[in-house]
Amino acid sequence: MTIKNFCDGWARRDFLRVGTAGAFGLNLSISHLLEAAAKGEVDPSKSDISFIFIFLKGGLSTIDTFDMKPDAPSEIRGPFNPIRSNVPGLHVSEHIPETAKVMDKFSLVRSFTHSNAGHGPADHYMFTGFHPVSGFNGGLKPNNQHPSMGSVIAHKLGPRGPIPPYVCLPNMHNSGSSAYLGAKAAPFTIEADPSSPGFAVPDLQPPLSVGAGRVLDRRGLLEKVDRFQKSAEAKANQGTRELGVFAQRATELMTSKAAKEAFDIHKESPKLRDAYGRTTLGQSCLMARRLVEAGVRCVTVDHSNWDTHFHNFRVLKEDLLPKFDMAIPTFFRDMEDRGLLKKTVVVLTGEFGRTPKINAKAGRDHWSRSFTVAIGGGGIQGGRVIGKSDKWAMDPAENPYGPEDLCATVYHLLGINPRSEMHTPEGRPVMLTNNGRIIKELL
Amino acid sequence: MIVFQETRGVVRMIIARGAGVLLAMICIGFALPVHATSPVDFTNDIIPLMSRLGCNASACHGKAEGQNGFKLSVFAHDPVGDFRALTRESRGRRISPTAPADSLLLRKISGAVGHGGGVRAPRNSRAYSLFLQWIKNGTPYEIGGRPTLTRIRLEPSRQTAAFNASQPLKVMAEFSDNTHRDVTWLSIFHSNDTGMATVDEKGIVTIGNSVGQTSVMARYQGKVATFQAIVPRPGPKVTYPHLPNHNFIDPIVDSHLKRLNIIPSPLSDDATFLRRVYLDIAGRLPTANESETFLSDSTSGKRSGLVDALLETPEFADYWALKWADLLRVDRLKLGHEDAHRYYKWIHESLSKNKPLDHLARELLTAEGPLTEQPAGFFYRAANNTGDMAAMVSQVFLGVRITCAECHQHPYDRWTQQDYHAMRGFFQQVTTKNSAGGLALLAEGNPTIKHPRTGAIIQPYPLGESMPEEPPQGDRRHVLANWMTHPENPYFARNLVNRLWAHFLGKGLITPVDDLRETNPPSNPELLDALAASLVKNNYDLKKMIRIITHSRTYQLSSKPNATNLSDEQNFSRALFRRLPAEVLMDAVCDVTGVDEKFDGVPRGYRAVQLWDSQVQHYFLKLFGRPARATVCECERVTGASMGQALHLMNSPNIQTKLAHEGGRIKRLTLEHEDDADIVRQLYLSAFSRSPSRDEMNTGLQYLGSRRFQRRKAVEDLAWSLMNSFEFIFNH
Repeated sequence: MTIKNFCDGWARRDFLRVGTAGAFGLNLSISHLLEAAAKGEVDPSKSDISFIFIFLKGGLSTIDTFDMKPDAPSEIRGPFNPIRSNVPGLHVSEHIPETAKVMDKFSLVRSFTHSNAGHGPADHYMFTGFHPVSGFNGGLKPNNQHPSMGSVIAHKLGPRGPIPPYVCLPNMHNSGSSAYLGAKAAPFTIEADPSSPGFAVPDLQPPLSVGAGRVLDRRGLLEKVDRFQKSAEAKANQGTRELGVFAQRATELMTSKAAKEAFDIHKESPKLRDAYGRTTLGQSCLMARRLVEAGVRCVTVDHSNWDTHFHNFRVLKEDLLPKFDMAIPTFFRDMEDRGLLKKTVVVLTGEFGRTPKINAKAGRDHWSRSFTVAIGGGGIQGGRVIGKSDKWAMDPAENPYGPEDLCATVYHLLGINPRSEMHTPEGRPVMLTNNGRIIKELL
Repeated sequence: MIVFQETRGVVRMIIARGAGVLLAMICIGFALPVHATSPVDFTNDIIPLMSRLGCNASACHGKAEGQNGFKLSVFAHDPVGDFRALTRESRGRRISPTAPADSLLLRKISGAVGHGGGVRAPRNSRAYSLFLQWIKNGTPYEIGGRPTLTRIRLEPSRQTAAFNASQPLKVMAEFSDNTHRDVTWLSIFHSNDTGMATVDEKGIVTIGNSVGQTSVMARYQGKVATFQAIVPRPGPKVTYPHLPNHNFIDPIVDSHLKRLNIIPSPLSDDATFLRRVYLDIAGRLPTANESETFLSDSTSGKRSGLVDALLETPEFADYWALKWADLLRVDRLKLGHEDAHRYYKWIHESLSKNKPLDHLARELLTAEGPLTEQPAGFFYRAANNTGDMAAMVSQVFLGVRITCAECHQHPYDRWTQQDYHAMRGFFQQVTTKNSAGGLALLAEGNPTIKHPRTGAIIQPYPLGESMPEEPPQGDRRHVLANWMTHPENPYFARNLVNRLWAHFLGKGLITPVDDLRETNPPSNPELLDALAASLVKNNYDLKKMIRIITHSRTYQLSSKPNATNLSDEQNFSRALFRRLPAEVLMDAVCDVTGVDEKFDGVPRGYRAVQLWDSQVQHYFLKLFGRPARATVCECERVTGASMGQALHLMNSPNIQTKLAHEGGRIKRLTLEHEDDADIVRQLYLSAFSRSPSRDEMNTGLQYLGSRRFQRRKAVEDLAWSLMNSFEFIFNH
């Protein structure tokens, strides 16, 4: 990035952008950010840290991958065997042999636990750190009662230059939105699969039939035609103020070569694309790397379907884990090679784990009482195992951690004080996390 | 120790039944403390104190799993459980009767030992002393004979305040023995709009820098009261012009604006009015011809004539059926394809027949029999359970949100758990059975409902009424429907006119529109009352009401701000810019380009506004916030902007296809008109519903003229720029 930072870590471009937005009466004003820093809500020295959240929707079976129980009876242990990883003493599943070679790049929290084993609420809990309360409807898109981590990050830190602060790949997860933090903290969603051959971010470019010259002509004409754009009316109405800011941002995004290239996955070498795997998960991970490289603060990759109620082992072995075992290790290596891993917190998890006891359909059901979350990068020590589950992975045996703690840790690593507040439109103050603790063992 | 605990438990039970404190003290063998005569008990003193200190907040010990092993019920909905948690659980270590000051409770709140929630009450504080006294008194649960709290009031309750002014509030509690007491220090304060005013924990209100009206509420012991601040525009008092009144609405708005030192914008011109009423009543833009006809019409009263005509168009029913289908949840995924369609048709027919709104509500509420014949009953199929039914009916028809009270006292309103379950009770008889005519809706039996905590029987009664001795006979829903549609009902008419007002003026007199509550007062209460009275007087006639609202000068104001109302988006001193709803905007794009959109599941030619199914896959509609109809909340329809929207309007290949379509309007215009001026004029008429100004005409002519050899593309460009303008995207 060529943007010069001020001594306090805020990019000059941010100031300009933010200043413009402030003039239109939006909440992202310079004073807002400086105030946040002054109040100890954000630590500007960490403003170069980003976050990638790889969400394995449905629930990764961690008992079959990252926290195996080889000594348990067969109805719990299952047919998979552990193998050694590149970290002495740390064993993982035989079906992720490539991942086994990068276990030094991230750590495992094996004592993760929470209280909800239903997809919708558990997803919300993991995305936001808040267990949903009555009235929650998981089917709504968005269903956020509280903002997702990405929205909190976008709200507290704002964009870095013309690229949006928070992007969801390939679609927005139902719990990925901003709730009361509003449109400016909502994610920019791709709504297209980066692994499809003709992948392009919808509407990022004018249609091909409209040549570059005409695009400029049109924009020039629009400035003359739109009599309200700079009028008192536009400043005096919330709707026009908001759309005005977004339209300006959209134009900046379209005209920024760096941003445009970041979204163009076809610029990546075919060899590297192959290494990630030409799958939704693989190409989304690659896209996430490109976006963080270009300045996005938070990328969420939402990948389905890990809900292995039936034929858990066959599905894992033949479908899900081979894709995983290309995407994830390549991603970690690539991130490290480019020096991005130390500046990017990566979390890899489902909304819960799966029942230790195998069901009658050779599947595993939902299990939130105990599962493993993988966290790496951004100042986290790799190759560690934090906490442990009990002998059959029914419950944490020590140091239980939950979604609140995960969020607190991510915020902390990005320089956001997890004990600071955000406000609902009614002005109700809400803590960023529900008393989340920072998982100190990771640092 | 345990035996002692049990003994204490017995003593407490005696106390709870009303025996004297003195007896209790003697029973447990305390040396009589000096405070023995001061009545401090758990329910009257300690609970409000814990609420005030935030102990039972949902972020602290009030959350479902408690905090650090100590769990209180959120908002103290379970005082018995809280009492137990404080005095008995954890081996009673939280309270130390023999050495009160050593109680863990006191050491925690005063910071003598580590407390995740920090120091809540230092040793020398009033709160600390109260806790201490309670423990010294033997931690009584409830001392009998104490007067009960009847209500609280705020002093002052309404006040005109200047920018940045500071106003301390006093909370007075009134008791059943006619005494009153200042409970400010035990009350919780909350500002409805922190942009307008903030309030600190001591009840000191600080007014911000915005003109208008705002309120701050106080809560004490489950009772609420509201302080309303009127913040006039600073500076010298302006001379309010003498303005013509179109009807009863205008003088009420004027007197409010006078208080605020604001002058309204002038009346809008015909073109703006034309576009506004077409969009608001028929959900579409006028065609170029319709615009020309209206603009060239010089008869007086043409505005009212246009409204009358629009109310009789089929588009009126289409658009308003869409609105009601959102609210009443025509949800294909929930109801199934055929049933959702039957339900929609019933709604559509009700609107095209202009069924009085009280009839509509009554039919829906009391639907009975085979659903194919009584499609209104599908309303009940959209609900998951009786709680849902009660909540949906309350929110849609009364504008009252009661779901908070399912589990605890509503934190911002007067509704208790009992009120909630009493409303649920009206729907306990509702069931479905298979009949000869298919699935039939019935109301039968005499089921009882119990308070989830106390187990007491709750008889059904409507919100704000008192509980009868006996349950209503027969189909209870009729009792509710009678109450609801009674002319004196405090909610029904107000809710309907508030929603209507919000539709036409861009903002409810109460916002959010479905959140009528004591602590969310209307910005102009007199206007809300007058509109509600008018609706009742006009027999809940929707079209009549639309005529009244659109006839008012207030509705017809220009959106151009003047120096006094530049920052006013609350008091209807000018028209607000409202983004077109997803479906209306889609149709507008189709109309300007002359190319239909083909939607799944319906034949070509269906407009987006006519779609009865909100689940039809469509990127544009989704992007611009079409609701999924998963709830009855009007908030589900997203009216806000996003970057995706901005990008889509600029770059969507679908819109470009429409612009360049061989059968589209752009091509036709270039073939039909040799004169560029005609084309510019036609485009302005169809996109902006007005003729271009001279400058605008020149801009258009210049653009087209310099691209003679690319004429059709140049016209596309002009149409593109019109459709990306605020003037197109917004109703203004």
